Amino acid sequence: MTTTPAVIDVRGLVKRFGRFTAVDGLNLTVAPGAVHGFLGPNGAGKTTTIRVLLGLYRAAAGSARVLGMDPARQSAAINRRISYVPGDVHLWPNLTGHQCLDALAGLRGARDESAERRLTEDFALDVRKSVRAYSKGNRQKVILVAAFAAPTDLLILDEPTTGLDPLMEEVFRRCVRDAVAAGRTVLLSSHILGEVEQLCDAVTIVKDGRLVESGRLTDLRHLAASRITAQLTGPQSTTVTNGLRDLGLVNGDGAGTDLVLSVPRTQVLPVLALLARADAGDITCTPASLEELFLRHYRVAAR
Amino acid sequence: MTTARLLLHRHRMMIGSWLLLLLTLLGGTVWAYQDTYPTAGQRDAAVELARADTATTLLYGELPLPGTPAQMYAWEIGGITTILVSVFAVLLGVALTRAAEDDGTLELIRSCGVDRRNPLRAAIAVIACVATALAVGTAAVTGTWVGDVDGITGLGVAAFGAALGLTFLLVGVLTVVLAQLTSTAPTARLLGLTAVAAGFGLRAVADVRDIGALNWLSPLGLRATVQPFTANRWWVLGIYLAAAVTLAWVAGLLYERREYGAGLITRSEIRDVRLPVRSALGLRMRLARRSTLIWAAGVAGLGALFTAMGSGVVEQSRDGDVGGFLGTQLGGTDPVAAYCAYTATLLAMVVSAYSILQVLRHREDETAGRTALIVAGGVRRWAPLLAQVATAVAGSAVILAAAGAAGAAIASVTIGGDSPAVRMFTFVTGQWPATAVMAAGAALLAGIWPRAAGLAWLPLVAAGTLALLGPLLNIPQRIRDLGPFQQVSDPVAATAEWTGPAVLLLIAVTATACGLAGINRRDLLAG
Repeated sequence: MTTTPAVIDVRGLVKRFGRFTAVDGLNLTVAPGAVHGFLGPNGAGKTTTIRVLLGLYRAAAGSARVLGMDPARQSAAINRRISYVPGDVHLWPNLTGHQCLDALAGLRGARDESAERRLTEDFALDVRKSVRAYSKGNRQKVILVAAFAAPTDLLILDEPTTGLDPLMEEVFRRCVRDAVAAGRTVLLSSHILGEVEQLCDAVTIVKDGRLVESGRLTDLRHLAASRITAQLTGPQSTTVTNGLRDLGLVNGDGAGTDLVLSVPRTQVLPVLALLARADAGDITCTPASLEELFLRHYRVAAR
Repeated sequence: MTTARLLLHRHRMMIGSWLLLLLTLLGGTVWAYQDTYPTAGQRDAAVELARADTATTLLYGELPLPGTPAQMYAWEIGGITTILVSVFAVLLGVALTRAAEDDGTLELIRSCGVDRRNPLRAAIAVIACVATALAVGTAAVTGTWVGDVDGITGLGVAAFGAALGLTFLLVGVLTVVLAQLTSTAPTARLLGLTAVAAGFGLRAVADVRDIGALNWLSPLGLRATVQPFTANRWWVLGIYLAAAVTLAWVAGLLYERREYGAGLITRSEIRDVRLPVRSALGLRMRLARRSTLIWAAGVAGLGALFTAMGSGVVEQSRDGDVGGFLGTQLGGTDPVAAYCAYTATLLAMVVSAYSILQVLRHREDETAGRTALIVAGGVRRWAPLLAQVATAVAGSAVILAAAGAAGAAIASVTIGGDSPAVRMFTFVTGQWPATAVMAAGAALLAGIWPRAAGLAWLPLVAAGTLALLGPLLNIPQRIRDLGPFQQVSDPVAATAEWTGPAVLLLIAVTATACGLAGINRRDLLAG
């Protein structure tokens, strides 16, 4: 059986600026029709990677394929099939919103005016205003309308909802779902975990230019650790510490009376059994939230 | 003042480059006036001719008697620097006030809890600081020639420096006032430059029509009113200093009366005009349309003014040798052709500034991420730069054609001699390859070394110096003939020379191609 080729396929990507290595051996695979979350702390190399995918930056090493083509050599052909939303939008100050939409669609050479009109209404954007008079959120809306309305196969969205109000964020989420329903693929770089949790099928987490974690969201959640707490007396504590050592875990506090543990999902049952046998008090077990999962990955050293 | 220091630091490159240019021009030309006229008889004849000549009077003002080397220097070089100083003052005045408001840095300063008027005070303090530096610097570089060049005295250089510095202060503060009226930096710049043009026109009329009183109304007439190296009228400086302080007070008043980010003159921001473009070139052409038309009107007006005043110069050239800077410009050839070539050279320098500014927009767009938006829409990465160069080159052609047509129309009436209209049009439009080279130089830098794109002004400065001051600086004729503004041949002459323009176009194409190859190989600048 042949699998459908990935829309984005990055292998061992390296990008340096002088002596600074912004992206260091990154892998990124985005399946067709997926909404792929691209996460990481500020300065992790997300935007740099995106710029390589668009052919704006030249990679130092590694390979990148977008829609089956090489962005270093065929960026124009690739980009005609991509909608890009930058994180920081600067438009031509002496044009109106409508003229910007005209220009962006005219340059692409492909346009769906009815979709554009519908999205303009959905985002409540007054396109007759001069760009100079727009707030950050309104400039963002112009680009979002252009991106979703364009007849493209892949959407690359770099922190697209910064500056949008909660109502507009809802409109944005609907647009992403519609895009996927129409068979388009989305790469979504975002810091808003709720947004990622609601929209994404899979995520890639990067830190310091390196891959930290990548996979389907359900799998990651499965791998996430649960939090177990309990009250122990002195003798109980010794028993539990020894038991934990047998399981390959460390009791962080040693001989303390409050036990706080982060336990991988597979070992939750044995630990609970151990605590029950030791007759510990106030045992609680909380499954990890996605937020904790991300925060843990943001903090740990990249592998 | 922390804000003033911050502003000085932010604009140090601009301030430094302009001061270097002005002080080099001022300090590097003094000695030449001592040697230009070896005998007293030659000097007297030249002074008499220059005083009777309308064109030089128009450009520099009236040459005071007895016409010592110092007076000639203050008249010619002082005339050129007065114009440059005024342009510098407008650019800096807008950069310190309206541009900072446009890009939001002023908002940051205001939000730090400083006094409401603090940013305006800081801007005026910086202008005053640069004016002082200009005055002291001028006095210093000119003062080194005390004793070596006739008429250069300690008092004279101090008055000359103070007059230039005060001109800067006046125009700078006037620009700050004008910047309160409009809501965008480009409009403020346009208003400021229009004020400078009006000041130049007022001064020109005052000197040509001999209405000295009119000079008092123009900041560009200050040098003529102070009379450095002649009367050294210090009290005049006091009056204008008071005028500058009053202007600053008016600026403060207007600043208080308007909202942040708004101008006193407002225009509707609601328009429903469409933009049917299909390519990066179409977009760039559309974006440049308004400014190109304004430039065309301005340069055509300048061409008309020079041509209208050209009758005098032709007659004097026939009578004998006109002295000094203009004389060496006109030396040797047919007076009509020489005057047309001279006018065309001046206009070509202005149009070169237009074409360089156009191409430098590319770097601005690139750092702001607009180029990335275009490229991300499926446009080849070199296309925006090529569109920028093509627009600059086409725009230059339009401006030169407008100026050539305006000049030709007036030349047929005012200038006698052999086919002046054809000559004026040909000489002006013939400068097109030279302006293309300037655009291509900027494209080369924007393509391969965008962070140093400001160096694109160097070729214009070098070519301008070669063309205007080459004779005065004793640069050999064969080197001067290589200058990009010297490549137009007289259309009435028997043999037309095409090598020069062809070489210029070849250089332009090659430099542009290298720039495009450069941008294709490098990363686009991040926002």
